[in-house]
Amino acid sequence: MFRKILIANRGEIAVRVMRTCREMGIATVAVYSDADRRARHVLEADEAVHVGPAAPAESYLDAGRILEAARSTGAEAVHPGYGFLSENPAFAAACADAGVVFIGPPPDAMRAMGSKIGARRLMQTSGVPVVPGETPADQSTRALLDAVTRVGRPALIKPSSGGGGIGMRVVRADDDAEAAIEGARRDAEHAFGDGTLYVERLVERPRHVEIQIFADTHGNCVSLFERECSIQRRHQKVMEESPSPALTPELRTRMGEAAVAAARAVGYQNAGTVEFLLDPSAALGAGDQSFFFLEMNTRLQVEHPVTELVTGLDLVRAQLLVAAGQPLPFRPERLNQRGHAIELRVYAEDPATGFLPQAGPLLLYREPRGPGVRVDSGFSEGDTVPVHYDPLLAKLVVSGETRQAALARADRALGEFVVLGITTNIGLLRRLVQHPEVRAGRLDTGLLDRLLPELTAGSSEMPEPVAAVVGLYATTPSAVATPGHATNDPWNSGGWRP
Amino acid sequence: MRFTTDATSGEAEFIGNGEWRVVIDGQAHRVFAAGPADAPWIWYDGVVYRPDVYDRRTTSSTARRDTTGSLSAPMPATVRAIEVAAGDHVSRGDTLLVLEAMKMELPIKAPADGTVVSIGCRVGELVQPGVPLVELR
Repeated sequence: MFRKILIANRGEIAVRVMRTCREMGIATVAVYSDADRRARHVLEADEAVHVGPAAPAESYLDAGRILEAARSTGAEAVHPGYGFLSENPAFAAACADAGVVFIGPPPDAMRAMGSKIGARRLMQTSGVPVVPGETPADQSTRALLDAVTRVGRPALIKPSSGGGGIGMRVVRADDDAEAAIEGARRDAEHAFGDGTLYVERLVERPRHVEIQIFADTHGNCVSLFERECSIQRRHQKVMEESPSPALTPELRTRMGEAAVAAARAVGYQNAGTVEFLLDPSAALGAGDQSFFFLEMNTRLQVEHPVTELVTGLDLVRAQLLVAAGQPLPFRPERLNQRGHAIELRVYAEDPATGFLPQAGPLLLYREPRGPGVRVDSGFSEGDTVPVHYDPLLAKLVVSGETRQAALARADRALGEFVVLGITTNIGLLRRLVQHPEVRAGRLDTGLLDRLLPELTAGSSEMPEPVAAVVGLYATTPSAVATPGHATNDPWNSGGWRP
Repeated sequence: MRFTTDATSGEAEFIGNGEWRVVIDGQAHRVFAAGPADAPWIWYDGVVYRPDVYDRRTTSSTARRDTTGSLSAPMPATVRAIEVAAGDHVSRGDTLLVLEAMKMELPIKAPADGTVVSIGCRVGELVQPGVPLVELR
């Protein structure tokens, strides 16, 4: 097993990987940008190496600097987390060349799945159903407009390399396709350094159901069941759960087999996720046509804790063992989904102002605790949320005996989550888990957008206990906690401490 | 300490670490407060209140416009694209520039018909709220 690894990421995922490393007696190396000098992932690592300025392209995306950090600290392996370099085959290959183990799939598997057109062709020949779509060889705006016409509207335009909903655009009947193409291209170039775009037909009111797979270097490849991630906003997942309320045991088996076939087709190793669209309009008994391969995420997913809570596995531990050449650390025949788990993504964003991302100091930050509650976060009280990165503040993951018990637990935990200093979506999430449609499990990827007016409807009424504290707060000097600097200054990452 | 509001009265106690205990008619409530004395953030029963900002909330991602006709960023952001130049005539709703923050694109649109007087930013620049980006007349 490795003695020391470098975590090429920041925020909650870096902190989460370090926790498993500590449990396994593996020393950790953090990397950080100018904006993250005192970030949680830096403070919790055994060593930390500065890799550049705040802009991701000059720090967390700079493969050369990250590998140099691994070399100078003697790290034997690199865990890429999600985002940044995690799905970059050139980086994985550069690791191998430098004699450092990349904790993830082989570069060829990443390359095969990273190209959406290649992946589709491969899936079609492997018997995995796909949705109509194409990546035009001619990437001019005119050729992409033609592609939109061919696949039909509503169409989706997205970066060919990449994921996580970044740069994705929907073009409906009346939308300006040209503006969408240009915006998506700009996003793709900025986020992934590659402006190649993919155009596909949008399946209406689908569910998003994905299968977690795990493969080792000894030929074992298994499904760790599904996560339903239908609650999304602008293709960014907000709530994920397992089991999916939509799957029968028979459909679960078929989707699991399709996911394993997809992984085997590219010689996959380590943790991966095969995403499917589940078409609710497909008549029951329509055979394989009820679900379509969307893409494979060749990395650990943001929502992996949902699978950890229902299977009892530590996926990061399994990743480290498999990367070190060991067989899967569990018996596939003993795997099952126990109870129900739900993840809610707490974002630093303001639902009342069009979900503008928020940056600033966490004046007060109290995470919920208690039975069945897990919080993965990369911040603590007094930290400043910087403007340069993803606005994910924390992942609240709950488990319960049943879906209803898990929803009640999520409601309770969200009601204990105190964040003051920046606006978050916690109130929205709470209304979401209380909503009858969500409680009934009638989910599709457009549900959240349709519910938004209801979920964000604000009451300007101030409850009596709030009015009381408003009156007393200013006249109680010992209670007033004021940050010592401009609240939106992203350069001052020190934050205020009580 | 004893308090009285328009509607009721009761007891409020500052516990420490931002926490307050308010008792009204024998019923205890947990409240958290932080921030400047004149603009506090207050948490109660899972909901955050900003008593000072109720009136100046905007409901869209369009830029703030001050009285001199200049547009500024609604939040700290990076300038991704500038779509206009000084002297251009623009119509209400035209995209003037595109900001990017936390992986999101925010188009800054013309709030009214007019002429671009000056551009106060460069592509790639990190801009702060309140700093004029485009001046329109």
